[in-house]
Amino acid sequence: MRTRPESNRQRWAIAAVAAAVLALSLVLRSAYYELVLTQVLLWAVMSLGWNILCGYGGYFSFGHAVFWGLGAYTVALAMIYLNLSPWVSIPFCAVVGAVAGAIIGFPTFRLKGHYFALAMLAYPLAMLPIFQWLGFQELALPMKRETAALYMQFEDPRVYVVLALGLMVVALSISLWVENSRFGMALTAIKQNEPAAEAAGIDTWRWKMLALMLSGAIAAVAGGLYAVVLLVLTPDTVFGMLVSAQALILALFGGVGSLWGPIIGAMVLVPLAEGLNAELGNVLPGIQGVVYGVAIIVIILCAPEGVYWRVLDRLNRNKKPEPRATVAAAPVVALLQPRGTAGGDLLVLRGIGISFGGLRALDQIDLAVPPGGLYGIIGPNGAGKTTLFNVINGFLAPGNGTAEFAGEKITGLRPNRICRRGIGRTFQVVRAFARMSVLENVIVGAYVGAPDDTAARNMALAALDRVGLSVRADAIAGGLTTRELRLMELARALAPNPRLVLLDETLAGLGHEDLDGILGVIRQIRTDGTTVLIIEHTMQAMVNLVDHFTVLDHGRLIAEGKPNDVVRDQRVIEAYLGKKWVERVAATAN
Amino acid sequence: MTHHSVTRRSVTAGIATAIGALAAPAIVRAQAKTIKIASIAPLSGPWARQGQLLKMGTDMAMEDINAAGGIKSLGGAKIEVIAADAGDSTEKAKNAAQRLLSDQPELVGGTGAWLSSFTLAVTEVTERASLPWLTLSYSDAITNRGFKFVFQTSPTADWQAKETVPTALKLAEAATHKTPKTVGIIMDNTAAPVSFSKPLREGGLEKMGLKLTVDQIFTPPLSDATPLIEKVRSAKPDFLLLLTSAMPDCKLVLEKLDEFKLAHGKVPLVGNGAPFGSPELLSTIGPELLEGLLFSVANWPTKGQEEFIERFKKRTGEPFLTQDGLCGYGDVAILAAALEAAGAADRIKVAEAIRKMNLTTGPAAQCFPGPIKFDGKGRRVDVPMIFAQWQKGVPISVFPADLALGKAVWPSV
Amino acid sequence: MSFSLIDFLQALTAGILVGSAYALMCVGLGIIFGAMRVVNFAQGDFLMLGMYAAFYLTTGYGVLAFLGPYGGPIVAAFLAGPIVFAVGWLVHRFIVSRVTGSGAAASEGAGAYGQILTTLGLSLILQNGALIVFGSTPTAIRSPLSRSSWEIGDVLLNQGRCVSFLVAVVVAAAVYLFLGHTRLGKGLRAAADNSQAAIYMGIDVDRAHRLAWSLGVGITAIAGGLVASSQSFQPYTGFDFVIVMYAGVVLGGLGSILGAFWGGLLIGIVQQASTLVFPYQLQNTCIFIVFLLIIFLRPQGMFGRLSERT
Repeated sequence: MRTRPESNRQRWAIAAVAAAVLALSLVLRSAYYELVLTQVLLWAVMSLGWNILCGYGGYFSFGHAVFWGLGAYTVALAMIYLNLSPWVSIPFCAVVGAVAGAIIGFPTFRLKGHYFALAMLAYPLAMLPIFQWLGFQELALPMKRETAALYMQFEDPRVYVVLALGLMVVALSISLWVENSRFGMALTAIKQNEPAAEAAGIDTWRWKMLALMLSGAIAAVAGGLYAVVLLVLTPDTVFGMLVSAQALILALFGGVGSLWGPIIGAMVLVPLAEGLNAELGNVLPGIQGVVYGVAIIVIILCAPEGVYWRVLDRLNRNKKPEPRATVAAAPVVALLQPRGTAGGDLLVLRGIGISFGGLRALDQIDLAVPPGGLYGIIGPNGAGKTTLFNVINGFLAPGNGTAEFAGEKITGLRPNRICRRGIGRTFQVVRAFARMSVLENVIVGAYVGAPDDTAARNMALAALDRVGLSVRADAIAGGLTTRELRLMELARALAPNPRLVLLDETLAGLGHEDLDGILGVIRQIRTDGTTVLIIEHTMQAMVNLVDHFTVLDHGRLIAEGKPNDVVRDQRVIEAYLGKKWVERVAATAN
Repeated sequence: MTHHSVTRRSVTAGIATAIGALAAPAIVRAQAKTIKIASIAPLSGPWARQGQLLKMGTDMAMEDINAAGGIKSLGGAKIEVIAADAGDSTEKAKNAAQRLLSDQPELVGGTGAWLSSFTLAVTEVTERASLPWLTLSYSDAITNRGFKFVFQTSPTADWQAKETVPTALKLAEAATHKTPKTVGIIMDNTAAPVSFSKPLREGGLEKMGLKLTVDQIFTPPLSDATPLIEKVRSAKPDFLLLLTSAMPDCKLVLEKLDEFKLAHGKVPLVGNGAPFGSPELLSTIGPELLEGLLFSVANWPTKGQEEFIERFKKRTGEPFLTQDGLCGYGDVAILAAALEAAGAADRIKVAEAIRKMNLTTGPAAQCFPGPIKFDGKGRRVDVPMIFAQWQKGVPISVFPADLALGKAVWPSV
Repeated sequence: MSFSLIDFLQALTAGILVGSAYALMCVGLGIIFGAMRVVNFAQGDFLMLGMYAAFYLTTGYGVLAFLGPYGGPIVAAFLAGPIVFAVGWLVHRFIVSRVTGSGAAASEGAGAYGQILTTLGLSLILQNGALIVFGSTPTAIRSPLSRSSWEIGDVLLNQGRCVSFLVAVVVAAAVYLFLGHTRLGKGLRAAADNSQAAIYMGIDVDRAHRLAWSLGVGITAIAGGLVASSQSFQPYTGFDFVIVMYAGVVLGGLGSILGAFWGGLLIGIVQQASTLVFPYQLQNTCIFIVFLLIIFLRPQGMFGRLSERT
């Protein structure tokens, strides 16, 4: 998240670039250069739109041409059949793009990664034959000789530069707003670790849909203006692979996920391609494609994430990191309320069962955790402990049984909803947002319980204080030690003040001194009023920590009760050590 | 192999043009100004072959005209054809047009851009610059926009359809003494075939007493022609209209017809469009399968052009002359004729001259069937539809008789 | 829309025969996609290279002329494989390996961005380079098989496509056996499943990837060689097939060679049989609709596995 002065600097930068483009357009003498400049700006807008979903959110789309094409055809068909001026239809394209984004997002967001990208590929290519079939193989926007200006037809090509520039400034401003808002943080979290974001209370589906709709709206508007500039549309021109590829190439080349990446990409690659066409087109046909391809490969080998990030890295390497204004933990106003035991257990599981194919991973699990309790779940490897957490947390829906939290049913709810109800979670393998700072990681977790961003920040600081990690607030999460990572994840889970936290093997991989530290933190959490349910292996530590054990083996509950009783239970020993040991223990006892 | 020589020639042509361009300033100083004409065609991308053929025509015309003394009414000024690559998209075509116009403000006319969507994009630019433009493309949109500076040398699709079918019927009657009653159409859904078949479907065929028993439209490129030809096999129309505009699709359809034992006259074929006469078709399918394939085309080498054809073949190494090279040559010749008539290297005057034109003799008129005369919309009128037919591995014109280089044979078993 | 039994059978057989070539292409892509998780935009262009390789082998300098017009094209198609394999080997060695596998593990998204751009750039180079070298004229391999058919009742089976069906099945089976039963093949699969673990087990992941890449483009090239005698091609032909290949691979399921084969076959069938019910013009739209349906209803494809542990 940017600070206020940083945001302002970016706004000035946008204004400066806009002024520079205007100046350039006044200086250029030829209509051809103005046309190329217009195209640079339009492609920049398209790429900015792409960047919102794909650069910020990490959901790569190979099919953004579908929005571009729908926008272009909307404007063209509206003008041809309804005599509607582009001044009206181009803004309307935003609606078209957003609606298309919603329709496409509904089914497609069930996929991730490569599948999502390839599914997106299918949409524009499916549209292509449809438009051919409908008879729109060649559409020419009618020339309006009398009322030209009314229909956005100008003799002076610079007007189009101004229009496209206006669009670009709007798109940049939107991107800037996204970057600085909770929206942007959520997208970044989704990009870096979606399950963690979901478990931290981020409604990932909603944000993804919004991102796609916004992305589609921007691309469609750009497509609409493109139709006005190009005047002739064929399905291949606006729905073709090259359009989707161009949106991608510009953003990836310039710097994916950055504000300026698409701009850099557009300003370098579009004129380059056009220049190559112009110079080499008829000398050695095809050479321009070869040169363009080579240029792309060379740049990507030197700067795999784009020019912007590479340049930034270079600059930052020479700069000393500015001592940031220390994130002084503001006096922690008691955000913690004493938890009254309102009678009845906090978390109740009844008959929980789940199967994966033929494997019965959990069977007839009953559990009742009272408020303020510190309960442990133990069992040998593969017993189903993490699976149980996944069920409680909402990542898996149980085949049988119910789960109730604070008297309300939570079975079948999505993880972010469950987080909202007041259940926090850490993971067996720490799921950090590796490129964000520790503080930002925790702020993501605070959103679900904070009315605004300032409150979120304060809650995050408080949580870091609780776990004793305040001193590392500004460190980038990717560089932390195991202990620090676990504390950070703990802080993230605690930030929204949950009533219950699920700790999955928090002590794993820690050395002796680290262990004591974390145990102390966990005890303090309970003292502060939060109920804790913890999965662990390390018997020794657990026995002195928890009030109660539940023992799982092969998905079934084999024992529960006070720690000292459970460790002596025959079934438990057998489960952990096998029959031979039980006999040996029995033998030595005799 | 033709494709090898094409590339090498492009290189040498390019170098020659470059050297010529370098030497030009000296020439300009020495005598009358050079008249510049634009030629925009796809030189790279999927349609590069067609663009190169067009360029062969325009380059040859330029040489011939200059060798014959240039434009006499302008003091023997030489013409220079400046080529630009329309590439593989309408955006690139438009950019090429805009670039040419910006770089070469003295342009007086132009020709191109082969693909109808490219032509549309290019002419949007040239119209606004009042640059007279000639094209062989003929989709309806080209001359429906109310433009004043676009001149289409091919007859409209409507006209072509109205000429093609009755002529085919007449040929059939003359050969078999029977009138065909049923017809099938196989076409792709690009603009030209769509424009061609529209009037036929909207009552045109009925008026000629024909029933449409097979009507198959596909989106190019075609992957396999089996389902298409299966329909032909079951319906067995008296003849088949093939409106496939790309050579690869022609090959698939023709070979599938052979496979289904419907070729060699079993179902007489009438095609429309220059791709049916391309040398590539010959090299991929072979002369036996093509024997007797009849097709109507806007322009094809006709009687009186024999010497010209030989010269073209020798100069370019092409096995025969096709529509693209012929039209490329002809367009430049028309512009030269217009310049002669206008007496000034001025766009408006050249356009005026073209509008007033009614050429029946001269190098321009020799390139096109019928008089070179344009109506108010820029369309040619009274153009006889040429039919060509593959005979012994060469597609030669067979109709109308006064223009034909060969004699028509209605394919029958 | 009504159609007869013959129409249906004819379309179905056409779909299977056309689909067999798609199936082999998908197997090639599946190897790469499955082993390296790389979206290779240049796959269609390697297909095109295979077509040209087969073409020049058949026609150039009478090299295969002594095999006759029937055998020549088939052998040429086979030989196109190793040629493109070698090209792929070099391409991976000098370009692709820098943005995939261990060369890119450190960057964000495991170098996904770099991979996409690199393969896009590669595609541009191959297409346009082919234009310069081979020229723009569409060509095809002339074979009498492309216009003859065998008759089963009233159904005609195109001989050329039948032969390529057989070749495709043989090659795909060979690949399947190779991957499942040889040391090299198993190493490939291990590297695909978990490259880090594979490294620890002593498998040279980079080598494995190079093998997967080269094998993948080589197999697809053989498919190209087979198609080259049925259809004409030009330097930009690859474009038309990339989508079909991806649809087939995803349909079949990530990481499954069998799945890729069946996926490609299914795509072929959908493409041809859809014309019975839907307008012919929407052939390819139907492919995508089926593709999208499968992705939504069964995202792991027919034979793939769902992954993602929490």
